[in-house]
Amino acid sequence: MTAADPIVSAATPPSTLPTEPTRWTLWSDRLNPILVREVLQSVKGRVFALTVFVALLVSVVIAVVTVNAYEPRGDAGRMAFNAGIATLMPLLIFVVPMQAYQSMRLELRGGIVEQLLLSRLVPRRILWGKLQAALVQFVLYVAVLAPLLATSYLLRGVDLPTILVSLLFALCACVAATAFAVSSAAQGVLPAMQPLANLATAAGLGLASFAFVGFAGSGAYTYSVGWLVRSNECTLTIVGIALATAAAVVLSLLVAQSFLLHAFENKSTGFRVFLFALPVVAFGWVLAFMPRSSHDEFLAVFGMSLLVVGIVFGQFMVTEQRELSPRLRAHVPKSRLASLVAAPFLPGRDRGMACLVLYLAWLGGLVAVLWPGTSSRWIGELLRSAGLCVPYAIVYLGLGRWLRGFLPSSVAGNHVARVLLPLAVVVFMILPALVDLMLRGDVRGWHVGHVMNPFWTIDVHNRAEAWSSVLPWAIGVSIGGLLLQVPAMVRGQAEVAAAAAVRRERARTA
Amino acid sequence: MSAPLLEVRELWRSYPRVQAVRDLSFTLERGQITGFVGPNGAGKTTTMRIAATLDVPDRGDVFVEGTSVLVEPRAARARIGYMSDQFHPYPNLDVLEFLDFFARAQGLRGRQRLTTVRSVASFCGLLEFADRPATGLSKGMGQRLHLAKTMLHDPSLLILDEPASGLDPRARIEFRALLKELAAAGKGILISSHILPELGEMCDAVVVLERGRRVVSGTIAEIQKAVQHEQAVTMRVLGDADAAERFLLTWPGVGSLRRDGARFVFPFAGDETALGELLARAIAAGVRVVEFTRTEADLEDIFLQTTKGNLQ
Ligand SMILES: Nc1ncnc2c1ncn2[C@@H]1O[C@H](COP(=O)(O)OP(=O)(O)OP(=O)(O)O)[C@@H](O)[C@H]1O
Ligand SMILES: [Mg+2]
Repeated sequence: MTAADPIVSAATPPSTLPTEPTRWTLWSDRLNPILVREVLQSVKGRVFALTVFVALLVSVVIAVVTVNAYEPRGDAGRMAFNAGIATLMPLLIFVVPMQAYQSMRLELRGGIVEQLLLSRLVPRRILWGKLQAALVQFVLYVAVLAPLLATSYLLRGVDLPTILVSLLFALCACVAATAFAVSSAAQGVLPAMQPLANLATAAGLGLASFAFVGFAGSGAYTYSVGWLVRSNECTLTIVGIALATAAAVVLSLLVAQSFLLHAFENKSTGFRVFLFALPVVAFGWVLAFMPRSSHDEFLAVFGMSLLVVGIVFGQFMVTEQRELSPRLRAHVPKSRLASLVAAPFLPGRDRGMACLVLYLAWLGGLVAVLWPGTSSRWIGELLRSAGLCVPYAIVYLGLGRWLRGFLPSSVAGNHVARVLLPLAVVVFMILPALVDLMLRGDVRGWHVGHVMNPFWTIDVHNRAEAWSSVLPWAIGVSIGGLLLQVPAMVRGQAEVAAAAAVRRERARTA
Repeated sequence: MSAPLLEVRELWRSYPRVQAVRDLSFTLERGQITGFVGPNGAGKTTTMRIAATLDVPDRGDVFVEGTSVLVEPRAARARIGYMSDQFHPYPNLDVLEFLDFFARAQGLRGRQRLTTVRSVASFCGLLEFADRPATGLSKGMGQRLHLAKTMLHDPSLLILDEPASGLDPRARIEFRALLKELAAAGKGILISSHILPELGEMCDAVVVLERGRRVVSGTIAEIQKAVQHEQAVTMRVLGDADAAERFLLTWPGVGSLRRDGARFVFPFAGDETALGELLARAIAAGVRVVEFTRTEADLEDIFLQTTKGNLQ
């Protein structure tokens, strides 16, 4: 009801409520509504007051102990800093994320989140609001412990860069843990997953903060950071940790968002673009910070890891529902070229397969272009293993896409397929071994019946250095597997092209 | 002609083992209040959630002012105020803060937000409770807060799922007046309720659902006409009730006769002329009629006659 509405403005309210916007009202208009509400709620709530009080108390105790134990040239300052960090960390990686977790859970349980989704807040803004609220709490907690940290500096226990870098890492940990907590709370949309999510989050965050208290309390954290600050690996580590944090946050938020979005909205493109960005960021970091002599190691290790990440993402991509939702069909890019390029990034398992193939090419291409050459034996082996993984990825993910076709076309079908596919791999690993056991009494060695067991097959051939004899097979299977997927991939592209054509037609007639 | 405010078109939605909505179609115009009734599990909430973009159908579509809720859920959301059948406010917020938050979420800013929150709160009679904690409200007050929140963005279509449950009689009357006022201002309201007499009083039209299927729909007058031929007639006589009974039993169109002393209740198949004829002949035959009424079907009768009490 806007102010202009006749009925509502007719009923003039008694003038107990403010009508003139205060400065706070105007200023807070620019903030995320979720942030405003979370801050308001925690100011009024008990948990925040309690934790601030405890933190203050602890810092006073530490200060008193430190002052009593003070002797010139002693390490009282360092001890105070360790104790301060050890107090701060559980607040940052347990209390703050758990608060975000609780608030998300509450919204989901009460159906409030649906009311939010019906407003103009899109899931992305809701999630950002939660992260921003966590940042505000971070600042407040740090402020509470600031006097203590300042004391430790004044006592010459720790230098300023160490304090700053410690806080920076604490910030990364806090934000990543909060994003993780929010995303595992969002999975509570599926009630079956809720107990699991509860347990995993509380246990994960609890263990992490417990471990950290030990790490920081013993002084090992301050020592490591102090060492890092003085070493020449400082920048690359900070950038690396910041990038890893950013990736973890983005991934968590994508996951959370996929649970909150309308069933017909696009839940896939974000993940697919994220996947394609990973090699760029990782290899960019290597090129920027690593000496040329170690490029081969990093490219090989990162390349292999990114291949595995791609396969994991691929498992999700090839088990989606096949068709575009009515909403997405109405919103595909209109132009022929744009729809062609965008298609592999649009939802649907056929396009998911195409996306995976493109990713493999993208990753392989990047590694090939940046490859400095190597003489190291283990790197060669790693690369060969990666090469042998490719046919397996294509065959198994193709199989997954095919299996998905037999399941109901609901979202539940996607989930079932995602369980069935890894199960299929396990079955293909166990079955030949069982047959061996029954026919020969034991599992003696690799034979061609075990060819669907990727781990063993790759290991055996790497060990035997039978690379040249497997290579034609690997290439043959990859090409064969790809050819089998071509009709599906074409169908996926064609659906988008058809939708784009419909849009162009509409635009012409309208 | 512009598109109807709400059009539900051939909607299907199934859950495992239950077909919640089957081939449901109906429309709702601006300024109209449509009652959505049916036994428990008939599929009312399911339909409303689909219309409110919170669920998706297996087949079919819903259009709000011509906009498909499946193709343009966000555009549709701006036009819909959906009040679900449950309400859980945030802890640690008072009534006004709660409304203020949702006003922010609806993108209202500055002075506009203040005035909107104020007028909506006053419209829903919440001003006295402005500084109460939102979680500490009584059920009825909670419903008012829920409705206020639903109206913040001035939606043209209100979808209210059992909004009157838990309201006391006075609050219910006020609530009814409130909805009528909204309808008079041109808003369309789809309202589900199990309190049929009340719906009958404020609704222009009803859609009766059973096991996901529409069994009857239309304006109340239309439906009354449609089911009229089965309407009950009550007749009370003085004197020889047995003779009256014999007379009635021979009359064509009189259905299964129930007798309670000198009072007869029977369904009568026939129009008003036939009924007038019956009365005239009865009097001519010496039956001393002191009471003769035909009860109009109210929503409750319509409901009982059209649904079979099949739950799912
Ligand atoms: N999430 C769900 N999972 C499984 N079945 C569901 C779900 N939601 C609703 N149903 C089933 O769909 C049918 C219709 O439910 P719905 O809530 O729409 O009925 P309703 O008309 O609102 O009933 P009531 O008058 O009790 O509120 C019921 O049989 C119900 O059991
Ligand atoms: Mg219901």
